[in-house]
Amino acid sequence: MADPLDYIRGFGVTFKKLFEERLTLQYRGGKGKPGKPDEKREKGLRFHGRHVLNRYEDGMEKCIGCELCAGVCPAKCIYVRGADNDPDNPTSPGERFGYVYQINYLRCIHCDLCVEACPTQAITESKLFEFSFTNRNDAIYTKNELLVDDNGKPRWLPWEDWRDGEDEHTSAWMRATSPAGDHRYEGVVAWSGELGHGVRSPEVGQSDSADESSRPEMATTEVEQ
Amino acid sequence: MTNTEAKTTLSVTIDGEVFEARPGELLIEACERAGTYIPRFCYHSRMKPVGMCRMCLVEVDTGRGPALQPACMLPCSDGMTVSTETPGTRKVQAGILEYLLINHPLDCPVCDKGGECPLQDQTVAYGPGESRFVEEKRHYEKPIPINDNVFLDRERCILCDRCTRFADTVAGDKLIHFMDRGNNTQVNTFPDEPFASYFSGNTVQICPVGALTARPYRFKARPWDLDETVSTAWTDSAGARVAVQSSRDKVIRLLGIDSDPVNWGWLSDKERFAFEALNSDDRLTAPLTRVGDHLVPTGWSTALERAVSLLSDADPDRVAVIGGARLTNESQYAWAKLAKGVIGTDNVDSQLADGLDPELVLGLPRATIDEACTPGGTIILCGPDPKEEIGSLYLRLRHAVVHDDARLIELTPTATGLSPVAAHSLHPRPGEVADLARALVEAANGGPAVSAAGVSAEEISSAAVAIDGSVTIIIGRASLAESADCVTDAALQLAALPGSRFLSALRRGNIHGALDSGLAPGLLPGRTTIEAGAARFADAWPSTPASRGLDTAGILAAAADGRIDVLVLLGSDPINDFAGRPLAAAALETVPNVIALDMLVNDSIAMAADVVLAASGATESAGTFTNLEGRISVCRQRVTPPGTARADWMIASEIARRLGFDLGFDSVESIRAEIAAVSVVHSGLDEKALAEALVDGLLIGGSGDIMVPGVVGVSPSAHDAYSLRLVASRSMYDDGVALRNSPSSRGLARSVTLRLNPTDFDKIGVDRGTVVRTESAVGRLLVPVEPDPGVPVGSAVLPWAAPGSPANTLIDPFSTVTDVRVERA
Amino acid sequence: MPTHAYVPHAPGYVDNDGPKIITKRFPLEDSYTLERSEATGGYAGLRAALDRTPAEVHTEVRDATLLGRGGAGFPAGIKWGFLPPGKFPYYLVVNGDESEPGTYKDRLLMERDPHQVIEGCLITCYALGLAQCFLYVRGEMALAQERIARALNDAYAAGYVGRNILGTDFSVDITLSWGAGAYIVGEETALIESLEGNRGMPRLKPPFFPAAIGLYGQPTIVNNIETMSNLPWLMTNGAEQYKTYGSETSPGTRLFAVSGHVRRPGVYEVEQGVTTFRELFYGDNFCQGIREGHELKMFIPGGGSAPWFFPEQLDFPLEARPVGAGGSMLGSGAIVVMDETTDAVKAALRLVRFYARESCGKCTPCREGTTWEERILQRIVDGEGRPSDIDLLLDVADNISPGPYPVAAHPDAGLDAIPFPPRQTTICPLGPSSVAPITSTIRRFRHEYEAKITRRNSIAVSAGSVEVAS
Repeated sequence: MADPLDYIRGFGVTFKKLFEERLTLQYRGGKGKPGKPDEKREKGLRFHGRHVLNRYEDGMEKCIGCELCAGVCPAKCIYVRGADNDPDNPTSPGERFGYVYQINYLRCIHCDLCVEACPTQAITESKLFEFSFTNRNDAIYTKNELLVDDNGKPRWLPWEDWRDGEDEHTSAWMRATSPAGDHRYEGVVAWSGELGHGVRSPEVGQSDSADESSRPEMATTEVEQ
Repeated sequence: MTNTEAKTTLSVTIDGEVFEARPGELLIEACERAGTYIPRFCYHSRMKPVGMCRMCLVEVDTGRGPALQPACMLPCSDGMTVSTETPGTRKVQAGILEYLLINHPLDCPVCDKGGECPLQDQTVAYGPGESRFVEEKRHYEKPIPINDNVFLDRERCILCDRCTRFADTVAGDKLIHFMDRGNNTQVNTFPDEPFASYFSGNTVQICPVGALTARPYRFKARPWDLDETVSTAWTDSAGARVAVQSSRDKVIRLLGIDSDPVNWGWLSDKERFAFEALNSDDRLTAPLTRVGDHLVPTGWSTALERAVSLLSDADPDRVAVIGGARLTNESQYAWAKLAKGVIGTDNVDSQLADGLDPELVLGLPRATIDEACTPGGTIILCGPDPKEEIGSLYLRLRHAVVHDDARLIELTPTATGLSPVAAHSLHPRPGEVADLARALVEAANGGPAVSAAGVSAEEISSAAVAIDGSVTIIIGRASLAESADCVTDAALQLAALPGSRFLSALRRGNIHGALDSGLAPGLLPGRTTIEAGAARFADAWPSTPASRGLDTAGILAAAADGRIDVLVLLGSDPINDFAGRPLAAAALETVPNVIALDMLVNDSIAMAADVVLAASGATESAGTFTNLEGRISVCRQRVTPPGTARADWMIASEIARRLGFDLGFDSVESIRAEIAAVSVVHSGLDEKALAEALVDGLLIGGSGDIMVPGVVGVSPSAHDAYSLRLVASRSMYDDGVALRNSPSSRGLARSVTLRLNPTDFDKIGVDRGTVVRTESAVGRLLVPVEPDPGVPVGSAVLPWAAPGSPANTLIDPFSTVTDVRVERA
Repeated sequence: MPTHAYVPHAPGYVDNDGPKIITKRFPLEDSYTLERSEATGGYAGLRAALDRTPAEVHTEVRDATLLGRGGAGFPAGIKWGFLPPGKFPYYLVVNGDESEPGTYKDRLLMERDPHQVIEGCLITCYALGLAQCFLYVRGEMALAQERIARALNDAYAAGYVGRNILGTDFSVDITLSWGAGAYIVGEETALIESLEGNRGMPRLKPPFFPAAIGLYGQPTIVNNIETMSNLPWLMTNGAEQYKTYGSETSPGTRLFAVSGHVRRPGVYEVEQGVTTFRELFYGDNFCQGIREGHELKMFIPGGGSAPWFFPEQLDFPLEARPVGAGGSMLGSGAIVVMDETTDAVKAALRLVRFYARESCGKCTPCREGTTWEERILQRIVDGEGRPSDIDLLLDVADNISPGPYPVAAHPDAGLDAIPFPPRQTTICPLGPSSVAPITSTIRRFRHEYEAKITRRNSIAVSAGSVEVAS
């Protein structure tokens, strides 16, 4: 038989903690009050946040609507549909572009497999994970919401918490082999992007990994970068 | 082994294991049967091998040491030793793949074939890991349209000759070919001549890379997000087996399934692309009722109440049902039970005066497609142009004639798509085909050859000589401007040929299922008549009709006279499809109440329907299909119907329930069980047998209780010198409501021209293409005219339902032939 | 006029001292007319044949061991025996689509003595019981076409061709067909396809050789123009007489078209098997030596498709068997001589480019492989080669023609000859033909390839420090 006072003693811990200093960081979703600024932790270099759809420097979309991201997605949160490019006013280089592109963030587990699968580096992930939508429609990001704007920056949606500089930290990596298959471009950094940490060193030609002597001059003598 | 014993198998050693191959079997097929897959690109089991891609090179030893041989060209021989795994074989396979890939663009993510591509798959399995080719690849303009629906990407093409071989040897439309040479070899069309083939979609299906893509599927989905089920093509009566593929609950592609007795994997473009109509934005998603001049959406209970009140108020003899060929066998049976058993009318007809006497089709000894295509046999075509109406049947017949030495004798009013390969093309005057048939049979049975129906005695006697071996007669309506009785009489004449069998060429969807289900006046389900079968249905049905009702022409004539109160259009459009537009229009104007079941609003519904019940389409409901041989094959449901549309049998059950009778059906299986129980011919139809015959289907043979009708004795009226006999024949693409709602087929309907023999054409004295006035006893049309030497003198050929110029305007359904006067407008 | 001299109105032909079986009328200016032909024994062979039974004629040809002159060197009499009995009609197709790089002997036979060709066709038809012969003449040979056509018209008019020839009950029609300009149509099955009106692409053989299933699906004999031209003399003079020329295994004479760096290139009628390459190149009544001040580097003994020979092989006799064992082939009798000024890599490129352009595009290894070879060679010649390119070239070639490719011996390097013929992954021998110049030159002149590749790299290094993007 327990002492009835034990119930009251038990609350003692609660009351004691009520007046101690807090250990958690203060975060108010960007609405910090004067004197009490909110703080965000630095994210890791390879942090997986919400996606962005990239463009080429000329504004063309990189996405070709191939659905490989949707195919590889373990959470089945991506819905893509391709369509024929209008030859006179193309959306992306080539025949096909991503006509529908949707990611359901109620399902996404940010595994980054879609980024691995993408053959054109169209989809990359940003550092952003702080979004608080209040309905399902907002949680399903459409192509217009995912696509970077004309400056190559991710779009800031009303329910997302972006801070200055965070839009720079998208984990894009660059492709270095020649898209055309022209041997003179082998080893030359042919693509570069405005997003991401930097540019990877070029990939060597497939058969020539041991044949370094035969290719380097191409980079400076024949191809203007 | 002695010489008298013929050796039936050959011992071939495949990778060390002895395998018994069949004589004449190609090595690549023997290996496949033995479980050893030899990679290939150009080889296709339904076409002659060419040995072009060299992918199937394997080391073969026939006693002279191992040598690399193409397995697709090499017939097995006794004692042959094959090694598919040796380093030499592997190196060559990797080398060939490297060659194929050096100029193949790596745009797999863009390419529709990516994910189901033999080149991808075999590169993974047999290819080199990497390419040593560093130069620029070969470039061509990216996809060029080679016809309205098919695009050709020459960069992706690996020149396997499959599409070109198909066009040449299977379809007979040699419109694509190799051009240029060496590394610049490419497939292309001839300048300014599109690949205008009814079968162009097959080239897309057999292309081993993504070089050929079809507009309806282009970029719609990727292979890994497709769901697939087996079904049967519904646009004609061949019953071609198809794989229905959908993504996100929407059908986006149909592929042909290689069913040995039916379509061999081929489809006509109409069969392949007609699913687009099911995805049309104009599909009925809810029932409609007429409010004033408009049809407005309503709920099911409202619509059904209205339909039931119309039906229950009417005298059964004043109720009529037209149509039913669109329905599955199960829905047809449910509707037969509703109309004949519950409502109690025998005014039920699934043909719109464009078919044949059902007792002729069911009563004559029937042939299968395989029997018709017996190598070395004789095919007599006394029916429509199969190329225009039943594409899959055309391909089988053409193969039999071109590659299997069958002889084709045509008894058709004009040249057909098979005429170029026919042994004899006899063109009787319209209405007189029975006279020609009699003369031919007499000559074939040793009698003297006499000229008949405008065909000379020499032609008849030389055609008669060609009749040999198994004889199959294909019967159907070559011209809708002459009465079905002409074909009945001709068929009964030809039945006198020894051993002859008949293959029906009624074209409309599941029309043979409708006849088997009793959707014809005087018939009950299971190939029986209301007299002979009444006893069998006594338990299952509340009643059966006591006397024979009216056929469609009779129904419409009665309706125009005010003797029909309720007309049910069971997926039919009499205005456009009935052979006699003036009568159909008069009937629909007069009949007080029209109930329609359909997927789309057609012209008849728009004009006259009071209640429209939204029905589900072929891929949206389960069921079975009966093809022209009587072969039952399953159609599985792949997607859900749009809105609240539901299966036709459910609507029948619902109407019956509201009329106070339970049809007793809660699933298609329960309907099939009742069919198997009450029908003599369907007794073998059980779920297990159907499941086992998933690809080839279940052949339902026998005539049941049907007796062959007697000779009608048609005698066409005398032909006056001022008029021409009309031939109205169907073409593949017409102005039907389904094709109007298929974006890929919509533009393919040919603009209509009246075609005359140059002699008759010259008499009119106008230029080619001039619009002339064409007038018959019942109607008048203004159409452009052009000369065509394929049309016999004295005839005028007009396509059936071409946009804007419906030929049935000119036709009186009760006259034997239709004479028209063609004059300057 | 010395007997061994150019004949001005027969450009390319050199009249030497040797026996004349098929070029006897060449020195005559109007040799192509019916009058001159008849005046010099024309159609005597046909009359001689018609006096015998067809079987006797066939036996005579078989006894003479008349080797086919088209390239494969198969005895004509034996080939004729492959016709399956009773499967009429048979057809004779005479292959005048001479397009092998370096050869122009059939053109001369057709231009200078068309009646001899026609007579040969008639003798063959008589021997085999044929009623229809097709003469297929290369599209570019305008003069040959004109003269053959005229000769055929004259022969019809004179009753040598057509119904009841020379009053006998033997009737033959000869149809003249012109090519449209494709090397591959010189291959017999491609020629048959072309005759049928199809695209000239070879058929796969086995399973069916033309003698079993040929033109329009019927048994067909395909023979070369020069083979036909031998028959009139053979009929007039008999097999015994014929075999007194040449060696025992290769009797008779052959036309050799010598071109390149010799003092007197031209077409020579030479006794087979007896004469050697050395005699042909250096003999006074033949080519009279390599051009002034230069020496022999290499030569192609049998047209562009043949592996190359070098000075060590000069003493091979002009006979198919030893040349084949030596690693090449006599082929169509076109000999290309190259002196030391010739760049082996460029010469190989030139030939490979020919095959890449002439590939019909039917089978993969030839269509893609020949072009790839051409592009690698072009890259090497342009100074953009890579050290791995030589092995790459050999492996690309190996995928067209797997296994050791026929090549001449290289005694200095201690390498033996690899005998003819090559193996192939292709349908016809065109693809493997493109390999011949590559394997021949790489085996012997690898250093020339390496020099071109190293030169390019040395230029690159001397261009200064290279910034590599990183």
